[in-house]
Amino acid sequence: MAVMSKKGKREVPAMSTSSLPDIVFMLLFFFMAATTMRDTDPQVVVNVPKAHEVSELDKSKTTNVWIGKSEGRNAEGAALSIQFNDAIISESMLETNIKKRMAEKGYTKATEMLVNLRVHETATVGMLTDVKQELRRSEAYNISYAANPYN
Amino acid sequence: MAKSKKKAGEINSSSMADIAFLLLIFFLVTTTMDVDMGMRRTLPPIAGAQQDDNVELHQRNILLVNVARSGDIMVGTQIYKRSDLHRNGDHSRLSKETYDFLVDVNRSEKEPTEFEGGKTFGISKGIVSLKADKETTYDVYLQVQDELTHAFNVYRDYVAGELYGKSFDELDEEQQDNLRKKTPPRISEAEPNDQTTK
Repeated sequence: MAVMSKKGKREVPAMSTSSLPDIVFMLLFFFMAATTMRDTDPQVVVNVPKAHEVSELDKSKTTNVWIGKSEGRNAEGAALSIQFNDAIISESMLETNIKKRMAEKGYTKATEMLVNLRVHETATVGMLTDVKQELRRSEAYNISYAANPYN
Repeated sequence: MAKSKKKAGEINSSSMADIAFLLLIFFLVTTTMDVDMGMRRTLPPIAGAQQDDNVELHQRNILLVNVARSGDIMVGTQIYKRSDLHRNGDHSRLSKETYDFLVDVNRSEKEPTEFEGGKTFGISKGIVSLKADKETTYDVYLQVQDELTHAFNVYRDYVAGELYGKSFDELDEEQQDNLRKKTPPRISEAEPNDQTTK
């Protein structure tokens, strides 16, 4: 009996968890370094076309303009709408919105920002041109056409 | 003596992991991993604002590219189908034509440009004027832009080869920047045609 009770008391020592915070912190720092803050949530559905000659854009400078179908019930037949930052706007409001964005970011010239146009593939060139005209009027000359690279 | 031996109790650090996890999850939710990819362009100032009078264009330095709403493309006098945008090997028919226009001395003028080490090379003055119908879909429009950019990039590669005997990717950063400045993709995006009467 004495032998038995001795055997029962022999337990596996608890696993040390003291290195767990270190591991998690390491993961945390990795994610902090490798990711960027989510700037805006898209409220329109945009499938950008694919292209070969694309380059990486400096995220700290980009301002996104979406042209896509508004989400919701009648997204299928809905006409395309323009989203700037967090709001769906009409194209005539683009200039005011760009000024607002410049003030937010502390830019003195509109050319300091890169306007990234995320345009749905079925959008027409006419609509794109209207937006581009507004951008020219706001003197935001640096633009980019968002596209997904081929793999 | 007895007092100094009394150590302060250790802080329990078992909640450290919980705090770190909380932070980790916060960052996972609020940040994104994806990188933005895009084709960069510079828009011209609105006419009448500050026009650069020094820009003198000769008609023969301009390659007209017209995109119809059907997706057919007219380059100079030739008509290409939408399928001509697909790459066959290195070039699509459209980018090959554009590249030829840039390289051929008889088609676009060359401007002697100085590079480091006293080398000069005639860089093409060619400009592509891209015009699309209002009803052309963005999909086609961007593909055309892509092929035109490709032609300019291949041309840049060709210039790098002539100057340094290397491809553009093999040059050091300074040379790349310099060459990039001297051979910008000169694509002028004209206002679209409207084939429908208002």
